[in-house]
Amino acid sequence: MTAELCLSIGSDLQGPRVVFVPPLFEEANRLRRTLVLAMHALAARGIASLLPDLPGQNDSLTATVDVDLDRWRGALADYVAALQAPVLMASVRGGALVDDRCGAAAWWRMAPAEGASLLRAMLRTRVAGDREAGLNSSSEALLADAAHRPLLLGGNLLSPPMVAQLQSASPSVTTPLRTVMLGDGPDDLAGTPLWLRAEPGEDAAMAEAMAADIALWMQTCGLI
Amino acid sequence: MDQNETVLRAIMSDVLGLGPARAAALTADSELFGALPEFDSMAVGIVLTELEDRLGIIIDDDEVDGELFATFGNLLAFCRAKQGA
Repeated sequence: MTAELCLSIGSDLQGPRVVFVPPLFEEANRLRRTLVLAMHALAARGIASLLPDLPGQNDSLTATVDVDLDRWRGALADYVAALQAPVLMASVRGGALVDDRCGAAAWWRMAPAEGASLLRAMLRTRVAGDREAGLNSSSEALLADAAHRPLLLGGNLLSPPMVAQLQSASPSVTTPLRTVMLGDGPDDLAGTPLWLRAEPGEDAAMAEAMAADIALWMQTCGLI
Repeated sequence: MDQNETVLRAIMSDVLGLGPARAAALTADSELFGALPEFDSMAVGIVLTELEDRLGIIIDDDEVDGELFATFGNLLAFCRAKQGA
């Protein structure tokens, strides 16, 4: 894979590594700040963590149109194999669609998303924008077109394979896996779904809760 | 407050970042699209998809027009009609 940038916090610490897989596309930007706060909270617990750029995302030099979910799966698997340390994958939203091929010791997922749901939200945003500009547009027509040529959704140029894979992608079963949802219930993680937020925000309490939950799961799995 | 209203207020709070107090203060006449600066076309796409996921409904492109997002009351009435409530 082309070399990609990676944010590393606590690299001087010994032991297992937590590899974060952020949400996909625009949702990644909305959550990044809080993910980084969670990485610092893990380091405060003596746990090192990494946040690699997926090819075509964030600071990557790869064009988004040249990637798809399969390529992301492979890139993450190569990345984890090269770490030569026990790894816990920590994926959020669409990140859970591409974390399954890694040779990790355990998985932790927060609010995993279906590919079709992510695609639908992006299609609707495009349709709403088109109609505001007085253009005739529909999700159906855009999807039909996307079978033959790249589709521009929310600033991301998506290739036909990417659109096709998103339509059918679901988080696959990995083991051992802990899945947490946000909410007020006893099993839920307290926090705000910042990936939905129209304006960027941050939630330090949620980052702390994520780190605590990840650390507990690593203990349960015998990683620490 | 029925389930539709609870879910819709939660989505407004989550997507627009209104916070629980401002979301609770929305009335049927509260104007949304064009009145709230946070309510842009990206928010429209996210709100529709969250409504589908959280209420278990399917919303067709043809059901979406400017009127739907004009007020909180319009959006709530739409959700209730979709639920057959």
